[in-house]
This record gives sequence, C-alpha cells and structure tokens, in this order.
Amino acid sequence: MAVRSRSTGWSYVIAVPWRVMVLRYGFLIFMALALALIIMGRVQPLWIEGARTHTVDTVAPVMDALARPMTLIGNLVKDAHDYVSLRSENEKLRAANAQMKDWQNAVATLQKENHDLRDLLRFKTEPNLAYISARVIADTGGAFARGLIVTAGKLDGVRVGMAATTGDGLIGRVVEVGDWSSRVVLITDLNSRIPVTIAGSGERAILAGDNSPTPKLMFLPQDAVLNPGAAVVTSGHGGVFPPNLPVGTVSEGKGGIYNIAPAADMGRVTYVRLVDFNLQGGAFNPLATKIEAESKNKK
Amino acid sequence: MMDSFWLRLDQGGRAALPAATVVIAALLGAMVWPLPHFGSVMPPLALMAVYYWSLHRPDLLGSGMVFLVGLLNDVIHRLPLGVSALLFVGAHQILFRQRRFFAGHSFFMMWLGFIITVSAVIIAEWVLLSVLNWHVVPVLPVLVQLLFAIAFFPLPCLLLMRLQRLTLNAES
Repeated sequence: MAVRSRSTGWSYVIAVPWRVMVLRYGFLIFMALALALIIMGRVQPLWIEGARTHTVDTVAPVMDALARPMTLIGNLVKDAHDYVSLRSENEKLRAANAQMKDWQNAVATLQKENHDLRDLLRFKTEPNLAYISARVIADTGGAFARGLIVTAGKLDGVRVGMAATTGDGLIGRVVEVGDWSSRVVLITDLNSRIPVTIAGSGERAILAGDNSPTPKLMFLPQDAVLNPGAAVVTSGHGGVFPPNLPVGTVSEGKGGIYNIAPAADMGRVTYVRLVDFNLQGGAFNPLATKIEAESKNKK
Repeated sequence: MMDSFWLRLDQGGRAALPAATVVIAALLGAMVWPLPHFGSVMPPLALMAVYYWSLHRPDLLGSGMVFLVGLLNDVIHRLPLGVSALLFVGAHQILFRQRRFFAGHSFFMMWLGFIITVSAVIIAEWVLLSVLNWHVVPVLPVLVQLLFAIAFFPLPCLLLMRLQRLTLNAES
C-alpha cells in the first residue's frame, strides 16, 4: 500500500522524471556552462584572471608538497652525476680560473676607466636590480603552452612583468601573481614576445616563442645577416625588462628565419630568480607610472 | 552507533576515491619531474583518470565532478577557462554511453579506447585553441604529446586497476 501511495504521490511524479532528466542530460548543462566560461574569458578576461590566480594560490601548497620529493630526487641524481665528473670538472675549472684571473685584471682597469668616463659625461646610471629567488613547484607545459608556477608572490614583492632568469639567462616573464605563488610564461611559449638586441651588431628584434625549444627572431631588419653563435640579450625597450640580460645565442637560420638557443637549460629549471627592475622608481611599469601621473595632473 | 559511523565513513571514502584520483592526477600532471623537458610532453594524466573511471565506475564520477576537474586543469595549465572542462565532460559522456564496448573485454581493447579518446580530445583541443588564439597552434608538440600519452597509458591504467581492485571491489 505504502509503495502504491508513493508512486502516485505528486513528489514522486515530479521528482523521479526530474532525477532521470538530470542523470541523462545533466552533462548538457555543464557543457553549456563550459562554453559560457570560454566566451566570458574572451569578453571579460580580467574576471577570469582573478579567479585563476586565487585558485592557483589555493592549490600551490599541495603542488609544493608534491614537488618537494621530486626536487630532492632531482638533486640526488645531479649530485651523483657531479661526483662522477668531479675530476674532469676540476681540470676544466682550473683552466677557466686561470683565464678568469686575466679577465679580472682587465675588468678592474676597464671599470675604473668606465667610472671616470661616466663621471665626465654625467651619465644616468641604470637603477639597481633586486632579485627574488623562488622554487619551481609546477611545470604547466603540455602541448599548448610553456609555463612554470613558482613559490614567491605578492607578499615577497613579486610583480607582474618581472623577468625570470636562471643563473645562465632569461627564461620568461611573470604574468600572474598570487599572494604566495606566481606564474611565469617561458620565452618558448607561443604567446611570449620579448624585445632583444643582438650583441655586437646591435640589430633589434622581437623574440617570439612557438612552443618549440628554440624561439625565433621576428621583425629583424630585411637585410640583417646574423652570425650563428652571436649572443642575444634583452634590449630593455618598453621598460619592462632590464637591458642586457643574456637570453641565448643565434642558431642557424632557415629561409631567412633565425632561431635562438636559450642560454638557460629550459628543460631543467628548479629555481628561478625574478628580477625587479626600476626598483627605485616606485611603480613597476614606467609607462603606467607616466599615464597615472598625467591623469593625476589633469584632476 | 560508532560502528555505523565508521562504516559510513569507510564507504564514503571509497565512493570518493574516483573523484580524488582524478583531482590528484590533474595536480600530478603539472608536477616538476626530474627528467629534462618532460614537462612539455607530459601525458594528460587527468584525462587518463577520467577515461578509466568513466568506463569502470561512472556512478562514482558524475559530470559535475568531471567539469570541476576540467576547470582545475584549465587553471593549472593556463588554458582558456572552460576548454578542458568542455572536452572532459564531452568525453566522459560519450565513454559512459559506449562503455560496454571498451570496458571488461581485454586490456588492449581499453588501450584502443584510450587511443581514440585521447586523439579526439587533443585534436579538438588543438582546433579550439587555434580558433580562440586566432592563429594555428604549432602541431608538432601536440603530436609528440599524443604519442607520449598513448605510450604512457598502461602505467597509470594498471595503477588505477590495482586501486579499484583493492578498495572498490571489496565493497561490492
């Protein structure tokens, strides 16, 4: 009797078909929601950006915990490798050291001369650079992007636009900053564009990533002929990056397109240094500061 | 009273296992491995977990959870929000409807199913991102990742099978 009364009850008549509908077609709601999010990301990218930064900040401690044992294993493997090559490495370092001593003498003389000449010219020196070191906790690569998440954020003084380097050279740029984590887009990423100069010839170009390990040089002058092996450094144009950070070396060009072999080992980054440029200038982006100052003046 | 509490906790824990493994897979998919350049060919672990549970315990991994994991994957990999969510929910639904074809036959049948799924998802992702970026995303890294995903599949799959046997089958 009880079953019969339930099966004829109004809640049963409505609730059961509703539940069946949700089970069968619920996925359509989620697909529509996903589509709406994709469209919203195009229309209102800042809302999505904020939500993304908060989510990354939330999962960062978990990723950090997952990354620690892997970093440890990586360090152990590297240590073992270092021990094996200790002898040959020592020989190499001795030779390098002898060379460095010669250079040191030359540098001391040049530095003095440079200092005197700058004094003569009243040359405005570059602002000092400050570094923030951070550990890499996630490699958010995959087939479609090249990026890292590192353990330093707003609370450590990280700001959007900072250059990310290893000891060897530039690896990327900070694009999102949470409280204690930030995201770096690598120079190999499809969306990375960095103004560079070819050391020596002084040609200017834009270094454009294409998700391959060797980003290419774009907008070189038509008649530019580059020597493979020439050093490429940041130009500092746009005021975002400090000038003269080493980026890599020119590799052979095919069909007039030159590629860059990054100076840093992009496949094995465990620690990064985030470079704070224009520290004394207050706000990070000189252009933004200028616009802000002008708008204040108008008021 | 206590017994029923622990029993319910135990059952709840077991029922939450598929969702938990999918979330963990999404996080592991962005981990720094001590292998050079492994990050750029990292197999899509989250998709593998979604594939496995969609075939074996779709009752414990609903569209809502798959959608959330897709969003997490988008956030971690800085893809346009919603792309993985859309593809994961679509794949989950198709697999759920076709699961008799791939599950319960042989391991190779399951592998074949994964090859079809991952190819379809990665190609769809490539098309979507090319449209959203408004220029063609380079194909070579995509193909390399696809090959890695196919070659790597048996390892996480065997782990998930072991996990399922240890926890979920004991219950039923």
